[in-house]
Amino acid sequence: MTDEPPPSGGLTVEYLEVRLGGTTVLGPVSLSVAPGSVVAVLGPNGAGKSTLLRAVAGADPVSGGSIHVGALEISRLAPERRAGLGIGWSPEGRRLFPGLTVEETLDIAAPGNAAERAERIGAMLELFPALADKRHETAWRLSGGQQQMLAIARAVISDPTVVLLDEPSLGLAPVARDQVFATVRRLADSGAAVLMAEQDTARAVAIADRAVVLSRGRLVLDWPVSVLIDNPAFEQALMGV
Amino acid sequence: MIEAAAQLAVNAAALGAVYALVALGFVLVITAVGAVNFAHGELAMLGGMVAVGAATLLPTDLPVPGLLVLPAVMAVMAVAGLAVAGIAYAPLRRAPPTSVFIATIAVGLVIQHGVNAGIGPEPRLGPPLIDAGVLRFAGIGLAHQQLATIATAAMLIAGVHVLLQRTRFGRRLRAAAQDPEMARAIGIPVRVTVAVSFALAAALAGAAGLLMSNQYLVDPSDGSLLMLKAYIAAVIGGWGRIWGAAIGAFAIAVFETLIAAVASYLVAEALLYVVVLAVLAVRPQGLFGEAAGRRA
Amino acid sequence: MSGLDRRDLVYLVAAAAGLGAVLALGDAYTHRIATLVGIYAIAAIGYQLIFGRLGLLSLAQGAFFGLGAYASALLTLSAGLPVPLGFVAAVLVPMAAGAAVAAPIARLDSHYVALATLSLAQLALLAARNLEITGGANGLYGVPPIGVGTLEIVGPQAMLLLVWAAVAVALLVAWSVTAGRRGAALATLRDAPHAAITLGLNAARSRIAVFMASGALGGLAGALQAHGLGVVSPSVVGFEVMVTILAIAVVGGRGSAAGAVAGAALLIPLPEVFRFLEGSYLVAYGVVLLATIVLVPRGIDGWLRDRLPRRPPAIPGPPGVTRRRAGKALVVEGLVKRFGGVTAVDGVSFSVPAGTIVGLIGANGSGKTTALNLISGLERTDAGQIRLGGVPLGGRPAHHRTGLGLGRGFQHPEFPDGLFVLEAAAVAAPDPAVAMAALVRVGLGDRAAVPVSALGGAERRLLDLARALATEPDALILDEPAAGLTEGERVALAGLLRELAGSGLAVLVVDHGMDFLLPLADRIVCLDAGKVLASGSPETVRGNPLVIAAYLGLGAAA
Repeated sequence: MTDEPPPSGGLTVEYLEVRLGGTTVLGPVSLSVAPGSVVAVLGPNGAGKSTLLRAVAGADPVSGGSIHVGALEISRLAPERRAGLGIGWSPEGRRLFPGLTVEETLDIAAPGNAAERAERIGAMLELFPALADKRHETAWRLSGGQQQMLAIARAVISDPTVVLLDEPSLGLAPVARDQVFATVRRLADSGAAVLMAEQDTARAVAIADRAVVLSRGRLVLDWPVSVLIDNPAFEQALMGV
Repeated sequence: MIEAAAQLAVNAAALGAVYALVALGFVLVITAVGAVNFAHGELAMLGGMVAVGAATLLPTDLPVPGLLVLPAVMAVMAVAGLAVAGIAYAPLRRAPPTSVFIATIAVGLVIQHGVNAGIGPEPRLGPPLIDAGVLRFAGIGLAHQQLATIATAAMLIAGVHVLLQRTRFGRRLRAAAQDPEMARAIGIPVRVTVAVSFALAAALAGAAGLLMSNQYLVDPSDGSLLMLKAYIAAVIGGWGRIWGAAIGAFAIAVFETLIAAVASYLVAEALLYVVVLAVLAVRPQGLFGEAAGRRA
Repeated sequence: MSGLDRRDLVYLVAAAAGLGAVLALGDAYTHRIATLVGIYAIAAIGYQLIFGRLGLLSLAQGAFFGLGAYASALLTLSAGLPVPLGFVAAVLVPMAAGAAVAAPIARLDSHYVALATLSLAQLALLAARNLEITGGANGLYGVPPIGVGTLEIVGPQAMLLLVWAAVAVALLVAWSVTAGRRGAALATLRDAPHAAITLGLNAARSRIAVFMASGALGGLAGALQAHGLGVVSPSVVGFEVMVTILAIAVVGGRGSAAGAVAGAALLIPLPEVFRFLEGSYLVAYGVVLLATIVLVPRGIDGWLRDRLPRRPPAIPGPPGVTRRRAGKALVVEGLVKRFGGVTAVDGVSFSVPAGTIVGLIGANGSGKTTALNLISGLERTDAGQIRLGGVPLGGRPAHHRTGLGLGRGFQHPEFPDGLFVLEAAAVAAPDPAVAMAALVRVGLGDRAAVPVSALGGAERRLLDLARALATEPDALILDEPAAGLTEGERVALAGLLRELAGSGLAVLVVDHGMDFLLPLADRIVCLDAGKVLASGSPETVRGNPLVIAAYLGLGAAA
C-alpha cells in the first residue's frame, strides 16, 4: 500500500499512530477507502475503531503517519479546516445539538450563501426521506433512527469526499438499522468514500465492499467482503483471538 | 394599597430587567467556555463609569443622553470584554478551570481598584435615559426613567433572543457552546464564537451598568454584589441555561423588592444568601439541573 | 516525605535570615509589617489545606479569620475573660464552623463551592456590620493586648516574636495533617477519586479534619490580629482579606504551607511600594495574582520544586514472609442495575473461586464495566448479592470493601501529582514494606525511587496493580489490564496474574479480546445485554455459536 500513490479522491491512511495518555492506543495502521465504496471497520470494543475515525476527523491528535484526502495531506490540520476540505463525521452517540431543529442543524453545517444552503437542505431531505416532514422538529424529539439520519445528513450536507460514520446503528431497532445501512450504501453509490465503524457486523458486512478488523489498535485483517462470509478466521478475529 | 403594589411591581420590573441583562451576559460566558467570570460585575460597573464619562462629552441640554451614549458604551465594553478574554482566558485554555476562576478574580480586583485609584470611590451619577417626568396612570405614578429602563432592557434582551435563537450565527454560537468539538467538526470557528460571546456579554453588562447609573448611582465597589446576584441567578435558573438565568434574575429582583418593602434591603440580601445556601445544600446540582458541560 | 528536604532548608534559611534582619535592623514600623506578614501567613497556611490539599476553591477563609477575631474580642472585651481563653475560642469557633460545612460543601461541584463559601462569608460580613453585639460598622475597640495575668505581650518586637512562634506552630499543624501517607492519601482523594475509594481511603473523615485545621488556623490568625491591633472592624470578614489570602496562597504555590509564608513575605509589604495607590493597593495584588496564575502557575514553591526536586523516600527492606492467604471466593448472585429505563445488568451471577482467574468478556454495552463497578462499590446495586469469603459486600460503602479484602485495578489509572512510585504504592498499604514487596512482585522494584511522572503507560498499569496489591486483598478485579501493552508486556502480565492466583487470590479480569484471556483464564464468563450468555472453559466459550453471534451483532442486542 505504501508504494502506490494515493488514489484520486478517496481516503488514504498510512502508518497512522495515535497516543493518548502515555499509551499508543492506535497504530501503526494503514488502509485506504476508494471513492464510491464502503469500508467497514470492525472489531471488539476498545480496539481503536472510534480512535481511528476521530483521528481522521481531527478530534484526536495524530502522533505519527499521514492522512490523505485525495492528494491533500490533512493530519496536521485543525478540525474546522478538515470540514471544509471534504471530511464529514458522524460521531459515536450522534452528538446532535439538542435545541436546534432539523432545518437549523442542517443550516449551520451547510456551506455557502443562504440560497445555496437552502438548496442543499432540500437535497438532504430528499436523500433522507425519514426527515422530510420533520423539518421543524427539534432534534431531541426525533426517534432514534431519525436522529441517526440527521447526524449523517449533517455530516454529508457539505458534500464531503470522505464520510466517517461511527457506530451508526447504535441503540437502534432492527428496522431502523436496515434503513440506516441502506442510506449508507446510497451515499457510497453517489461517489463518497465511506469509512464506517460498526458493532453490527452482519449488517455492516452486507453493504460494505471491504472489511477491516482492528484488535488492540492494530489491523489484523483487511479483506474484500466476498472472502469473509462463513470464514472462521473472520469470526475469531472479531472476538479478538 | 393597589398603588403601592403597582409601584413595587414597576420597581421590581425595572430592577429585574437590569439584573437579567447582567445574568444573560454571565451565563453566555459560562456556556461558551464553561468557566465563571468573576469580573463580570466589574464590567457592569465599568459600563456605568464609561456612561458617566461619555455623558460629559455631550452638550448639556440634549434630551436623551443615556440613550445616545448607550451604543458607544456597549461598543467600548465589547472591546473590554475581548480584553478580559485575551488576558484571563486565552492564556489559560489548557490550564485547570480553577486557574481561570482565579484569573478572573484578579482581573476583577484590578478593574475595581484601578477605577477606585483612578477616579476615587465617590458614587457618580450616570446620564438619565429620558426626562425626569412621571406618567400618571390610574392613580399610579410611573417614572419615565423607570419605564425607559424597562423598555431599553427589554429591547436588548429581545435583541439577544433574536440573535441567539433566530440567526444562523446565533445558532452556530449556541452549537459551539454546547459541543465545541462537534461544532469544529462541521466547520464552525469556535474561537470566533467564543470571542463574540465575551464581547456580547461585556456589552450587555455595560448596558446594565448604564441603566443603573442614574437611578442607583455607580461606584467602584458595585461590581461584586452584581456578580454575586448573576451567579445566584445562574444557579437558580439551571447552570448553563441562558433564559433560565434571565428568569432567575427577575426572581431575585422581585424577591429583593418585596422583602425590602416589608423589612429592609439588608434583610433582603441576607435572606438571598440563606436561600442560595439552602438550595445548594438540598440540591447540589442546582434547582433545574445542569445544561452546560465542562470546558472542552 | 520524612526528613528535611533541600527545599525546606532554603525556606528555613530564608526565614531565619529575614527575621534576623528585621529584628536586628528594623524599626518599630518594620516590626509591625513583619508581624502582619506572620499573621497572614498563618491564615494562608490554613487556607492551603482546603485550597491546595482538598483542591476546593473556598472563599470562606476570610470568614474563619473574622470569626476568630470577633470571638476572641467579644469574650475578652465584653465578657472580660482572660485573653488565653479568648484565643481558645478563636480557634474552636471557626473549627466547629469548618466541621459543620465540610460535608455539604464537599458534595458541590467546584463552580458551586465558590458560590456557597462566598455566600457564607457574605452572611458573616452582614452580621459583623449590622449586629449590635459586634459593634456594628465601627467594630470593637479596646481589645486587650495579649497576656496572662501580669505578663503582657506589648510592643512591636514582642508581638513579632509571638506571632512568628505561632507561625511555627501553624507549620507544625499543617505538617501533621499533610505529612507522609496522610498527604499522599489526601492527594489521591483529590487527584484520583475513584482509585481513592477502591483503595479504602475515607474521604469524609479526611475532609472534616482538613476543614477543622483550616478554620483553627484562620481563627488563630484573626485573634492575633485583633489583640495585636486592639481593634476589630467588619473589614476583617470582608472580601479584601479573603483575596489577600488567596493571592498569598497562589503566589506561594497552591497547597504549600511554607510557600504561604513566602507568599505573605512577598505580598504584605507590597502596599508600601505602591504607597501612591493608597487604599487601592489591591490593584497591585490583582496584577501579581494574574501574572502568577498565567506565568508561574505553581508559584514560589512550584518554582523551587522544579529546581530542588524532593529526594526519593528511603526504600524499606523486605518484610517478613508474605502471608499465605486463606483463599476466599468472590461470589456474585443476581446482580441488577438500572439506569433510567435501561437495565444495564440484568440478573448476572458467577463466582471466582480462590486461586483462579476468571475472565469477563462482552461486546459494547454488554454490562461488563457496570458489573465491575457494582462489585467494587462505585455503583449501588438495585438487586443481588456480592460476597467475598462468605462476607456480604453489597450495601457497604465502597471504601469499606477494601478492608474486607477487595482490590481493584483501573484501565486508565490516576495517580496524584508529585509522588514517587513507592509513595504512590504505599498510599493505602499497612506499611511501606508491604508496598515495596508489592512493587517487587509486579516487577517495579527497581523503580521505587523514581517519580511517578517518569513511568510509561504499561508501568503505570503495573503501579496501579501494586497499589491495589499493597492493601493485601483476597480478591482482585482488573479492568482491561492488557490494553495498550505490547506483546511482551502482555505475556509478562499474564505470568504475573498467574502467580497472583497461585498465591491464593481470586482474580477477575475484564478484557475486550480473547487473545489475552485464552491462555490465562481458568473460566470465562460472557455477558450480552446485561445477562450471562455463556460461561465455561475458554475453549468452550470461544467455540460457542451464541458468543460468536453476539460478537457479530446478531445477539439479543441486535
